[in-house]
Amino acid sequence: MQAKTIHGPTFESVKAALEKVMQEGFQPTLAIVFISVKQDRKSLCELLSTYDIDILGLTSCGEFTDQHQSEGETVMLLLDLPHQHYTILFEEIGDGTLSEAAESLALKTNEAYAHPDLILCSSGFNSRGEFLDGESLIASLKNHLKPDTRFFGGMAGDDKTFEGSFVFTHDKETNHGIMSLVVDADKVQLQGTAVIGWQKMGIARTVTKSTGNLIYTIDDKPAVEMYLKYLGKEEKGGDRDYKVLEELGLHYPFIINRGSGETVLRTPLGIDHQENAMIIDVEMPVGTQFWFSVPPDFDIVDNILDQAARMKETSQMEAEALLVFSCAGRVNVLGPLTYSENEGLQRIWNTPMAGFFTYGEFGPDSSGNQEYHSGACCWVAIKEKV
Amino acid sequence: MNPYHQTILDYLEKTEHLAVEEKAALIKAVKEADRALTIAEFKLDRTEKVKRTTAILLEETIEELEQKRAAIEQTNAALSKSLEELKAAQSQLIQAEKMASLGELTAGIAHEIQNPLNFVNNFSEVSRELLEEMIEELDMGNPEEVKEIAGNVISNLEKILHHGKRADGIVKGMLMHSRTNKGEKEATDINALVDEYLRLAFHGLRAKDKSFNAKLELDFDDSIGSIEIVPQDIGRVILNLITNAFYAVSEKKKNNSPDYAPTVLVSTKKSGDQIHISVQDNGDGISSAITDKIFQPFFTTKPTGEGTGLGLSLSYDIVKAHGGTLRFETQAGKGTSFNIELPTNKQ
Repeated sequence: MQAKTIHGPTFESVKAALEKVMQEGFQPTLAIVFISVKQDRKSLCELLSTYDIDILGLTSCGEFTDQHQSEGETVMLLLDLPHQHYTILFEEIGDGTLSEAAESLALKTNEAYAHPDLILCSSGFNSRGEFLDGESLIASLKNHLKPDTRFFGGMAGDDKTFEGSFVFTHDKETNHGIMSLVVDADKVQLQGTAVIGWQKMGIARTVTKSTGNLIYTIDDKPAVEMYLKYLGKEEKGGDRDYKVLEELGLHYPFIINRGSGETVLRTPLGIDHQENAMIIDVEMPVGTQFWFSVPPDFDIVDNILDQAARMKETSQMEAEALLVFSCAGRVNVLGPLTYSENEGLQRIWNTPMAGFFTYGEFGPDSSGNQEYHSGACCWVAIKEKV
Repeated sequence: MNPYHQTILDYLEKTEHLAVEEKAALIKAVKEADRALTIAEFKLDRTEKVKRTTAILLEETIEELEQKRAAIEQTNAALSKSLEELKAAQSQLIQAEKMASLGELTAGIAHEIQNPLNFVNNFSEVSRELLEEMIEELDMGNPEEVKEIAGNVISNLEKILHHGKRADGIVKGMLMHSRTNKGEKEATDINALVDEYLRLAFHGLRAKDKSFNAKLELDFDDSIGSIEIVPQDIGRVILNLITNAFYAVSEKKKNNSPDYAPTVLVSTKKSGDQIHISVQDNGDGISSAITDKIFQPFFTTKPTGEGTGLGLSLSYDIVKAHGGTLRFETQAGKGTSFNIELPTNKQ
């Protein structure tokens, strides 16, 4: 399999880049597209259709390739993977439930190949500002997928406008649905992991009153007051314009323990001033134990790269392409180090790479448990088996 | 880009004094330096922000923990006070239970004292008459008669002394029963103790209810001898068990045919290094619905005002404090047997 990455700030520049690689004799069958919501997705889909190139597309929150990093632009990973080795599935939630959509996608995945693996994509925020429940998605998929099916991927972004993030293919797109690139694991090898890096700080806390995604009290104290006070922003309690997610949530999410001993982040998205409650990305039922957190140390980049290097050595895999799904919050927290992280991953695998900054990540943690993550860097190396 | 780096870069791009390779290498070096500077500036800025926020978070957490510590100390103080009050209340209850059992004993004690008093009165009366006779015999000059009468008087006075001491012993026992227990063990004749409290309980009940009668069966093992116990405590247990046994048979008697013969069997037995004291009645037995409650404090089947509900609970604690066990076996309609096991070795 051959892979190439292209990018551009406009449709025309992307079109020119695509035509250039094709003139050089490259005949891609599949384009994995990460594109800003500001860009013209429709024209791009039409262009790719013209060349009979299949599309797995997500809107982004900043995007990058092995050569380029941008915000508000388009990047794509082009692969000449034989059509019979992959299938693209698209499930709009519509009037149904996320679990039903996930079940449908899982059953179709199971039917596609004897041993399927997935690049899993989903919308993040819909047009009503509702956030897709990644935990429910993964729980439903785990219930219905074959037990050895692995998945890696992320949630679409929307340049932090929170007005709707999309998954799309040629003729369909949705900001309330899921999509996957199903590969035949007997023909295509996927290898990757997800790493978080946030650390617990202070004492264990307990949710004492919550409903859905709203937390009212923590240890019987008002949650909003406690969160702001403990992070030094007490004076912002009445400020309805204060951007909780950008200013605090992305830096200081909550950490909860998974049963496996691994941790997962729960990100405060904002404040419901009418209810005086914290809005969290994923439901935290009463009794949930959690900790305040501090952002990863700067050596997290080295840790991620060390882990990738070890995985490469163990697997003896010579990757032909690399996808990176990195949490949008990492940009705020790790700044220019995120690019060092992405470049480092590309150097280790020494292969064309594309990725974007996500609203959530899917993939196996260091224990191998496949989970929904927040704040993670999830990467997957791809190779066609010959 | 850092303005100084930008200046260098602008210069490098314009200059014609360098070879192409040198220019490219220098331009790359400047860009790398700028990137390194950007990363260093970011790290510095983020470190400061995170340090500040972390400090606030930890300060707030420490303050919260300090408040929790103070609250726990307050609660501890309140709990200690409650514990002291509880202990005081328990002590009062135990004293009340002692007084209640003393009340049960009063009639029996009165009966027990009445006997020696009768002896004292009778022998005093007889002695007075003998002394009057002795005066008459002296007047008549019959020294032999005088001597004989004097011997009778001495004999009477010895009997008076004997019965006086017996009454004294009963009163002392009563005082011992009611006084605050210092928990000192002393060698005690178990059979004598059981016998004493059995009689007191029986006569006490008879004094309150003239119609009450029950067959008493005793089976004492004479080999028991003395063991180290707190006599007033074990006495209280025996009294309680016997009183309960009499209550059980008297209740059954009220509701049964005249053929029913209320019987209470009290036995002692030595077995190895254990002493067994058993109080068995042929009452109605204990209902299975309450068998797990009878040792609970304040649990009683007696009508309100007739029982404190502390008797068996205290008895259980007393036997346990002696390193022994208090168990019971019961059969509906056939009766109940309470069994005390006490170790003979000193503890």
